[in-house]
Amino acid sequence: MRVVIAEDLALLREGLVALLRENGIDVVAQVEDGPGLLRAIGGHRPDLAIVDVRLPPTFSDEGLQAAIEARRRQPALGVLVLSQYVETAYASELIGENSAGIGYLLKERVGDVRAFLDALYRVAAGGTVLDRQVVTQLMASREGIDTDSLLALTARERDVLELMAEGRSNAAIAETLIVTPGAVEKHITNIFAKLQLSNCGDHHRRVLAVLAYLRVARQPARGRL
Amino acid sequence: MPVLAAGLSIGEYLRSLVRRLAFLAAVLVLAIWAIGGQGYFWPAWVWLGLGVVVLLDSAGAWAWRQPRGAVRRVACVWALVGVGAVILTCTWLLTWRLAGVESFWPAWALLGLATAGSAYSLIALHDRVLVARGRRALRARIEMLTRTRSQAVDAQAVELRRIERDLHDGAQARLVALTLQLGRAELRTQELPEVRALIQDAQREAHHAIAELRDLARGIVPPLLADRGLVAAVESLAGRYGLGTAIEATHCESLAPAVESAAYFVIAEALTNSAKHAGAGRTWVRLRTGRRVLVVVVGDDGSGGADPYGSGLAGLRARVEALDGSLSVDSPRGHGTLVEARLPCGW
Repeated sequence: MRVVIAEDLALLREGLVALLRENGIDVVAQVEDGPGLLRAIGGHRPDLAIVDVRLPPTFSDEGLQAAIEARRRQPALGVLVLSQYVETAYASELIGENSAGIGYLLKERVGDVRAFLDALYRVAAGGTVLDRQVVTQLMASREGIDTDSLLALTARERDVLELMAEGRSNAAIAETLIVTPGAVEKHITNIFAKLQLSNCGDHHRRVLAVLAYLRVARQPARGRL
Repeated sequence: MPVLAAGLSIGEYLRSLVRRLAFLAAVLVLAIWAIGGQGYFWPAWVWLGLGVVVLLDSAGAWAWRQPRGAVRRVACVWALVGVGAVILTCTWLLTWRLAGVESFWPAWALLGLATAGSAYSLIALHDRVLVARGRRALRARIEMLTRTRSQAVDAQAVELRRIERDLHDGAQARLVALTLQLGRAELRTQELPEVRALIQDAQREAHHAIAELRDLARGIVPPLLADRGLVAAVESLAGRYGLGTAIEATHCESLAPAVESAAYFVIAEALTNSAKHAGAGRTWVRLRTGRRVLVVVVGDDGSGGADPYGSGLAGLRARVEALDGSLSVDSPRGHGTLVEARLPCGW
């Protein structure tokens, strides 16, 4: 797998490069800003770009904009955006119309090396990985209104939903939560029933279900704008 | 009555009458003198008397037009001094012309009058001068305090954003790098379960530290506010409360960071109250910049009865007033809540 890294903080960039290289991933370019990222993907044609949201010169959401532009130029490119905070607004923007090959994770997830590498491969292969905090924010957002469907989720079901958003398999979820795969399946059935998300069978469609929910959750905010 | 029809008061009518009579008398004595064989020009003394009456009337009227109090009293004194000076000077002129008196005998009397008038003015207006000077000093001080406070508030907002940036690029980034290194180390300790457990503990601690720093940074400046400005941050906020908030925003670009933050926290607090306490079905946020002021209105159709002096709203009031703004809360029981903040902004 060929990877481009866009991160302005040398400490993190070098750590990431070392981590990826020692795990057999080919880091073809390291850049520090948005324009650099666009040049690198044009020149190197990587499979995946790992992009920090905040990049110079504005240090606002340059990385996000660059990632969206990179995807526009190379639709097959996998993009994993790393950030120190999660905004569902950014997740929706990044996903746009096409959630294939998109990842959005908190930076500290790099500490769980196996899960992080797994996420890289899944995004590069066209999967979707959302940080579990996206789901947490969505949950928080619905409090006070949609009590019927959402507050009805048990704590354990929320844990499962968060891991589902990260695109994990039933087996991985079971391992993380230390329960049996059968129990995970039961939780998932309950979640879909409570959120009225039907027919979400296979691995990828489960993330899509979360995404659909993400879109629905954000719609009212745009009410009468 | 032709006089009243012309818009004159009784007093003014009497004064014009006195002037006309004086004029008539002056002409009359001149005629008598002329008919009576002329000689010593005695009508000059009558004219002096008549002139003093008219002069007293005019000077009195002028003094009466001055503002009440010390200024009017001083004007009255100077009117008398002026009339006295005229009497003395004219008398000297007449004695000089008619009787051939050489020396300017009123000199000392005039000097005395002027001295008395000045002394009185000085005493009477002394307080006023001091008060005026005090007011000027106060005004200058208020202007300076207003200016320095707004500079301080702006500087504080800029400083807070800098701190947030520093946290992001400094401590947070280092902690992330630390978890990354710990993760790499963990991969190498498959055969050393005790070391592995220690590393995992360390990682958990680092994660807690990162989460705490993130909450801290978010409390300083919500990232969307810093990155995308007020409208985007409010949209995200409204989405988070899931109240189906309608947002209207006009001309809310390029606001000062302090104004942006204050507006954001007003809206956040108001929406929190709507979601938590009011049981609102509908909420709305209106942002509008008028002449040098950003008006923020947050309304809901909930149960009302919010305490405008409760701790949350009191905190907001302090925040808004620090910017010379104002906050009003209208929350009649059963008829929804309307929170309006007016924040002066720089254009």
